[in-house]
Order: sequence, then structure tokens, then C-alpha cells
Amino acid sequence: MVELAMGIMLGLCGVGAGIALIAGIGPGIGEGQAVAAACEAIGRQPEAKSDVTSTMIMGCAIAETTGLYGLIIGILLIFVAPGIFSGVLKETVLALK
Amino acid sequence: MAKLDPVVRKETAYAATWVAALSLVMEAVFLILKRWSGAVLAGNLIGAGAAVGNYLLLGITVAKAAGGPPEKVAMKVRSSMTARMLGQAVICAAAVGILKTNVYATILPLLFPRIGIAFRPMIDRKRGKTAETDQTAEAEGSDLLD
Repeated sequence: MVELAMGIMLGLCGVGAGIALIAGIGPGIGEGQAVAAACEAIGRQPEAKSDVTSTMIMGCAIAETTGLYGLIIGILLIFVAPGIFSGVLKETVLALK
Repeated sequence: MAKLDPVVRKETAYAATWVAALSLVMEAVFLILKRWSGAVLAGNLIGAGAAVGNYLLLGITVAKAAGGPPEKVAMKVRSSMTARMLGQAVICAAAVGILKTNVYATILPLLFPRIGIAFRPMIDRKRGKTAETDQTAEAEGSDLLD
């Protein structure tokens, strides 16, 4: 029974990590659109290229952070959560006995 | 190797400075909590390297894309972001899973460039004010000389 519970828990951690990584899709689309718009701006005003590029890099880095949050949660769910949950599970089983 | 765009170099240097400073703070926190070990240092180095590398690659992609046709640029940036994100995930997972580095010390530096960017407007404002003050002082000085 404990093995089954452990298996379900590990599986759910993996599923959770996969769902968390879906967060990486949105920023990619947003970043693409932002850079495309910035390219149009550079096309209109080539003399402002360095300013636009600088702002664009910062904007992209900010947009990417949401994806990074998902990545971090995914890594925590894979490497940290199973240890914590199995500890809790073992303690619960011992307490029930 | 192609020469780096000065804007990209400047932005990466800024991010790298913040990553280095915040990494030191993080190491200090681990030391204070008496949890410091080689695994923390290794994780920090790998995480910081991944964060700065990601920022540099982002800058190179954006600088190269600038000026191209918008549809192609959007596609290029999107695929670059996916590749960079996957790269970071692989590096962090390999560091934690294979090299057994500290999980928190490995993944926290990934967010350090973002913290640096959050402080950017404040620093720019201060610099702007300083530049304005210098200009005013110079102007006043030249007036006095006249």
C-alpha cells in the first residue's frame, strides 16, 4: 500500500512538473511579438537602434521570468518534493502503526 | 567568432554584476545558516553561469534579429527562447541530479538577472540626476568663469 502511494505521489510530481513547464509557452509568444514590433520601430527610426535593443533585451528578460518560475517549480517538484512527501508519508504510516 | 554588439556586452555585464553580487549574498546566507558546503558553491557557480549565459544568448539573438522582417524575427526569438529554456532545464537538472549540487543554490541564481532589472530604473534615475547635476554644475562653473 505504501509503495502504491509512493508511486502515485511520484507520478503526480512528474505530471505537476510537466504542467508547470507549460508556463514557458506564453512568454515565448509574447517575446516574439515584442521583438517583431521593436524591429518595425528600428525600421522606422534606425538611429534609435541601440536604445531600442537595450530596452528590448530588458523587456525580453522580464517576459522570460514567468517561464523561469515554471522551470523552477518543475525542478523543485522533481528533485525536492518527492523527498518531502515521502518523509511525510513514512511518518504518517509510522503514526498509524 | 563574430564581435559582440556593444549594447549586448553592456547589458550582459550589468546582469553578470548583479548575479555575482547576489550570489555572494546567497553564499553568505548559507554560511550564516551553517548550511554551506561544496555542493552549494558548485550549484551557485553552475546556476550563475546558466543565468548569465542565458542573458548573453538572449542579447545576441535580439541584436541579430533587430532589423529583420518581423515575422521571421518573431519565429526566431520564439525558438531561441524555447531552446534556452530547455538548455537551462537540462543544465540545472544535470547539476542537481548527477553532480548532486544544492537544489536551491542551483536554481535561485536563474532569477538574479531579473532582480537586477527590477533595480535598473532606480539606478538609471540616479545616474540621470547625477549627470544633470554635473551638467548644471558645469554650466554654473562656466557662467562664473565668464
